[in-house]
Amino acid sequence: MLNSSVRRILAILAAIVLPAAALAEVPRIPVLVPVTGYLSLEGTAQRNGAIMALEADASVTFEVSDTGTSPEVAVTAMRRALRNTDVGVIVGPILGTQMLAMLPLAEEYQVPLVTISGTAQLTEMGNPWIFRFFPGDAVTKIAHARYVAEDVGAKRPAILYQSTAYGQSGHARLVEAFAALGIAPVYEESLDVATKDMTATLAKAMAAGPDVLVLHLHSGPTALVVRQARAQGIDIPIVAGSAMHQPSTAALLEPAELKGVCAESGSSPISGGSPEMEKFAADYRVKFGNEPDAFALAQYDAARMLLAARHAGATGGAPLRDWLAGNAFEGLAMTYKSDGKGNMAHDAVIVCYDGESRVPRIVRRYQGVDGGR
Amino acid sequence: MELLQLAINGIALGAAYALVALGFVLTLKATGAVNFAQGDLVTAGGFLAVALAGLLPVPGILLLPIVVLAMAGIGLAVATLSWWPLRDRPPATMFISTIALGIVIQNGLNGVFGAEPRAAPPLFTGGHVEVFGAVVARQSLAILAVAAILIAGVHLLLGRTQLGRMLRATAQDRAVASALGIRTGAMVMLTFALAAALSGAAGLLLANRYFIAPTDGGGFIVKAYIAVVIGGWGRVGGALAGAMLVALFETIVAAWFDQAVATGLLYAALLAILAVRPRGLFGEATGRRA
Repeated sequence: MLNSSVRRILAILAAIVLPAAALAEVPRIPVLVPVTGYLSLEGTAQRNGAIMALEADASVTFEVSDTGTSPEVAVTAMRRALRNTDVGVIVGPILGTQMLAMLPLAEEYQVPLVTISGTAQLTEMGNPWIFRFFPGDAVTKIAHARYVAEDVGAKRPAILYQSTAYGQSGHARLVEAFAALGIAPVYEESLDVATKDMTATLAKAMAAGPDVLVLHLHSGPTALVVRQARAQGIDIPIVAGSAMHQPSTAALLEPAELKGVCAESGSSPISGGSPEMEKFAADYRVKFGNEPDAFALAQYDAARMLLAARHAGATGGAPLRDWLAGNAFEGLAMTYKSDGKGNMAHDAVIVCYDGESRVPRIVRRYQGVDGGR
Repeated sequence: MELLQLAINGIALGAAYALVALGFVLTLKATGAVNFAQGDLVTAGGFLAVALAGLLPVPGILLLPIVVLAMAGIGLAVATLSWWPLRDRPPATMFISTIALGIVIQNGLNGVFGAEPRAAPPLFTGGHVEVFGAVVARQSLAILAVAAILIAGVHLLLGRTQLGRMLRATAQDRAVASALGIRTGAMVMLTFALAAALSGAAGLLLANRYFIAPTDGGGFIVKAYIAVVIGGWGRVGGALAGAMLVALFETIVAAWFDQAVATGLLYAALLAILAVRPRGLFGEATGRRA
């Protein structure tokens, strides 16, 4: 009787433990991204890109956790993820302040953190566990300024930028890049994200006599400036930041309002360019019901590089870190290779709208802008 | 001409903010506490208009009655969830419940519609007209007219109808109103419905020209709060004046200064008003601040 009870208990325990043990053999990749809060648009794209890549490979499992917008929530999510011993790498959020809070943990647990955050400081702190797969401001703002100067031929830019950390960082890089090209902006102003009416700012900017409007704003404010500028009859070229390339930003505007509007970006999946890119965009539309942007594609490429590392035998921790630091990867958006600091993306594109559709065309590619590869 | 254009834009924006502030004050007077979900109700109204426009491709003015009615229903739900169970507790508890509800609304909108900003249809048609030489968006003029009609309607409701008198009696002193046979619980619920309807209307008005995103609610509640503090805690007329002042800082003052400086000046003006008139420009109508 006793033997029978023991056997039954053992059988139940085995039923519970064995599948868990079997599951533990499949490594888990935590995807910690902000799918709520003010960066949820970008965070959702990041999540979708990771899912597209990771779902296609049965040799790994993944778990998506929302990090919201506070560093504390992100750190808690990371600690929770690291309780599992089968975690060898973490996909970190696009939000720079969260990534900065998570960096010490990555070092403590010796786990690579893969992100698409553009915050420059992340790769300037000497932390060998960070890998950034989206071109930072050091790349995109040089491309931005060069396009304005070399292709638009403008010499008197007016710069409108967001008052957030994102906006100020980009603004500083833009001014630097313009200075290197011998150009001084005729007008500069920061805008709060809650500002709804841009009429006054545009009037002041135009009073300075600019020959181009250069924007470095989030999605909604970018669309507001473009719409209100066109409504005020301002017809000088507008060269915007990467928010303008996002299909959801263009969707807010009429195609006619987009005429003469260009934007920098890491890539533009909806613009096509190769059969693989078109397949990615088509699959993404089917799976998520909306258009992919450069953030989704960058995260997709990053996750695919992790899978490539895994298939090469680098499954996590220091071996994975060394593999990511020492190998190049041919992604859909670009070739990724570390510059020694964890910056993997070094290319940027400029897209422009023709005034007849909301799908932009890639008009200029800048490769290896920062000399990182 | 430029000043006229800025003034019209500012007044139109202020009119929409005034609807939010009006809803804020009505709830404040009825419950003695701040409904922190008011800003998220604005975004809910905006997204409702976006969703309806997908089903009924008609001008926004035809969607407005549907949005107002649906938002009134949502207002009743907000009252049922965040006020009714806590009606005998200190006002601070409603703070928490409405903050929580606001987060639920925000994340619900995010989950259903996605995080990207959306645009509702214009009230009548898009485009611009010339007013004394200034180029003005038709939508701005339409916002101004519709908001004025709604505010006048609320004024008439509160001032000229028996229901309005009961609502005001409940807001002034719930215990006395109850002793007089007024069903004060129902009146507070109706106030929530009215406040949500006004917020929903503001959402529809703002969502075309200024777009709407699930996270916009925080900005709206801050502006409404400032408007109410400037105008006088609990003063309906003061809230409207305060809302107009907030919008004029965003447009007219920002024409002379950097936007960030204009925002700083708005807060400086707020502090100056409170220093000179601690009870706001028009004095307080609600004794306790919650």
